[in-house]
Amino acid sequence: MSLAHAPLDRACDEGRRWSAAAVLNRRTMLKALGGAVTLVATEAVHTQVALAAPGYTGDTLVVLSLRGGFDGLSAVVPGGDRAYYDLRPTIAVPRSRLLQLDGTFGFHPSLAPLLPLWKKGNLAVVHGVGSPDPTRSHFAAMAEMERAAPGTSLRTGWLDRTLGGRGVAQDDAFAAVQIGSPTAPQSLAGPAPELATSSLSGFQLTGPRDDADRRRWSTCLSTLHTQGPTTIVAPGRTALTAADRLATLPGAAATSLYPAGDLGESLADVARLVKAGVGVQVATVDCGDWDMHENLGAAGDGWMSDKLTELAKALAAFATDLGPALSKVTTVTMSEFGRRAVENGSGGLDHGHGNAMFVLGGGVNGGKVYGAWPGLEDDQLVEGALAGSTDYRAVIGEVLTQRCGAGSLQDVFPGLATGSPLGLVRRG
Amino acid sequence: MTDDVLHLVRRATWGPTPGLLEEVAAKGPAAWLEEQLRPASVGDPVCDAFLGLFPRLKLSIAQSRARFRHGDWGTMQQLSYATIGRYTWSRRQLFEVVCDFWSNHLNVTNPVTALFADRHDYDANVVRRHAFGSFADMLVASSRHPSMLTYLDGRFSQVGSINQNYGREVLELHTVGVSGGYDEHAVDDVARVMTGWTFKGDGTAVFDPRRHDAGAFSVLGWSTGVHNTAAGPQVQESLLRHLAALPATARQIATKLCLRFVSDTPPDALVTRLAGTYLQNGTQIVPVLHALFASPEFAASAGAKTRRPLEGYVAAVRALGAMPGTEGAGGADVLFTQARSLGHAPLSWAPPNGYPDVAAAWVSAGSTLRRWNANHDLVVRRKPADLRWPASEPLLTSPPRTWGEFVGTLVQRLLYRPTTPREASALLQFCEKQAASPVVQGDPWLTTRFPALAAMALNAPAHMER
Repeated sequence: MSLAHAPLDRACDEGRRWSAAAVLNRRTMLKALGGAVTLVATEAVHTQVALAAPGYTGDTLVVLSLRGGFDGLSAVVPGGDRAYYDLRPTIAVPRSRLLQLDGTFGFHPSLAPLLPLWKKGNLAVVHGVGSPDPTRSHFAAMAEMERAAPGTSLRTGWLDRTLGGRGVAQDDAFAAVQIGSPTAPQSLAGPAPELATSSLSGFQLTGPRDDADRRRWSTCLSTLHTQGPTTIVAPGRTALTAADRLATLPGAAATSLYPAGDLGESLADVARLVKAGVGVQVATVDCGDWDMHENLGAAGDGWMSDKLTELAKALAAFATDLGPALSKVTTVTMSEFGRRAVENGSGGLDHGHGNAMFVLGGGVNGGKVYGAWPGLEDDQLVEGALAGSTDYRAVIGEVLTQRCGAGSLQDVFPGLATGSPLGLVRRG
Repeated sequence: MTDDVLHLVRRATWGPTPGLLEEVAAKGPAAWLEEQLRPASVGDPVCDAFLGLFPRLKLSIAQSRARFRHGDWGTMQQLSYATIGRYTWSRRQLFEVVCDFWSNHLNVTNPVTALFADRHDYDANVVRRHAFGSFADMLVASSRHPSMLTYLDGRFSQVGSINQNYGREVLELHTVGVSGGYDEHAVDDVARVMTGWTFKGDGTAVFDPRRHDAGAFSVLGWSTGVHNTAAGPQVQESLLRHLAALPATARQIATKLCLRFVSDTPPDALVTRLAGTYLQNGTQIVPVLHALFASPEFAASAGAKTRRPLEGYVAAVRALGAMPGTEGAGGADVLFTQARSLGHAPLSWAPPNGYPDVAAAWVSAGSTLRRWNANHDLVVRRKPADLRWPASEPLLTSPPRTWGEFVGTLVQRLLYRPTTPREASALLQFCEKQAASPVVQGDPWLTTRFPALAAMALNAPAHMER
């Protein structure tokens, strides 16, 4: 599908609204029509599961989706590529303001809160990351990126297939969590269970008046859910278990640690779950509002600067909040596409392709920009945008195999060619 | 009321109401069904008045385009609200169920900015116009509607520069299905045949012969020779009518109708019979529905389906008797928001395959918890506050003598069948009563705490039986 060709579509509301997951939905039909291929693939996964050892011991994988089309070129600026300044006469970050990372790249000044993590080696960047799908529609690009199975009829998401390969039980409430919206992203579409909630504090019954009443509700619901169709009573019991467990979790970190806003609140919730040891294997968090077609702003202030500030502060706070637990958490950022290298007539950027990903965690070989730089000269661009020299699936695949105990990636990313690893993370 | 009345009403509507069950029992299930299959014969004053709140839905595509700035979401929002309101309040209940079915079969996500001026027209002139007509007509209408031409990229596909998106989905999803015996070559050929559509400045679709690939193609037993480009629309129509009438398409549609109305594992014999009915009747839908509801497989399938989140929520609103307000969106905006928080807002599924209709696809702890909260909100009339609720409605008129009877009456009123012992004991324990203890006026469980008890009855898994 595609609603693309969205130059027509100046408002690009989807890009912003996706972050609220307004039209995203999480479940796809497996038994139903048009799903024969899916079904076969799923059954293969589940056969594998039955043999897999229980008890996941890999990293918690946090997938932070920068919805709306994140401009990697504004964040990790190729100041050493002279074309950059020609392409962006009004919105380029001046060389003098860059936080230099190496001979080519520098952080946008608003990413200063990430520098300590960079220097400690907990943070890496992969630049020139692309998707096999060249679409520049928010809608189609997100769907394809989260399905991550080009050329197949699979309608499950890559995270769901990842969990399926581990044999996550249907009543495992916390194996996969989406924090920040009540519906999970398409990456989690499929049979593995997930818990999607706007916030941890929001995951509770609103009817009870006090703790005693809450126990009364819980007991009654529990009894009612001993009888009836499994597809209704099983998630009911999981919901009760999860709500009970959440009610007893240690409190969240001091709110002052995180920047105000949804992203900080969501990451604080993820950290809280990780530290409580409830068994989070994957967590997805959305951070929207990157669709900057106009008035992107200057290096020191404006839309991009504000958003990068929020992102950097939130990630830095997350690492601080996790403390020693950071050693078993890997966070990757993704976005449906990068933006055009050349600025448009409105001081903004239209939809493009290649992008930068951040990878943060205790097992990261950080302090380095990975990936072959595609370059910004005319003949190096694809339809005015940065090319993709590294497949985003290869980046994630490396994290999955090195940090998250994955063997073959064939079920997760069917058809992904095995290339030489980037060396992004240590085996752990 | 007999069991077959309840079974039919659960499947053929968005949820029983006490009045509807009485009506069906009085008319007889067969006569009521007959009436439902001729929706024009069913008066619908409440829903008609409600739809008066959404004047934008009457605008043509050109009028919407002229009147509103590009990307204005207002009309699509009105469509969202009108849709959930129709599901909740229309008396043409079976028609609304079937409209939902086709909206998903020929899915075009709403809202999406690029469709701001035409998605409501797709609803009116593709789905609703043909929902009880012939599938072939609906398929042809969908193929050249601006919404579908945008959603599946048909408008960008032209001779020499093919976009396969529509060509693939029309085979995989709309007609023969993924196992329908076509190959990549067929996908490409369908995409080529379908080229030629573009948009006029007023947002309507127009066929431009210069964009049409007038070559010779053959697809699944259909073929065209090299043709005059101006004949493109007729060639396309003949291809689509051929696809619509293929046995594989008949089976796919019969299977999906069985998934909707009978079981998550459709009985093969029924699928075969319904596919035959579909083909014998030139892809007409109503004869297939007739045969389906008359089948022994349908009669034997009570309890075999569960409601999806939207159905559970709308059924709760219907059970409680809330009617639309007269201001703003009449409360339908809040209904829609709640449905979205359950992960099942009408027309909102993003991929082209439509919302799944098997229970296994909807297992979600988060959605379950929000459903319980939404039920409680409804019973305490917190959300949507601007609905019209039955005046000082005691859900239970003349309270029974004992708490056992009270709980039994409550369950009968909301779940339309006698309570099970387990439900009764759970609810009695909840309000700290014995079955035999007398109901005393002034007991808080009759007044301030009653909503919690009623919500709990709606939270019983039995409420989710379809």
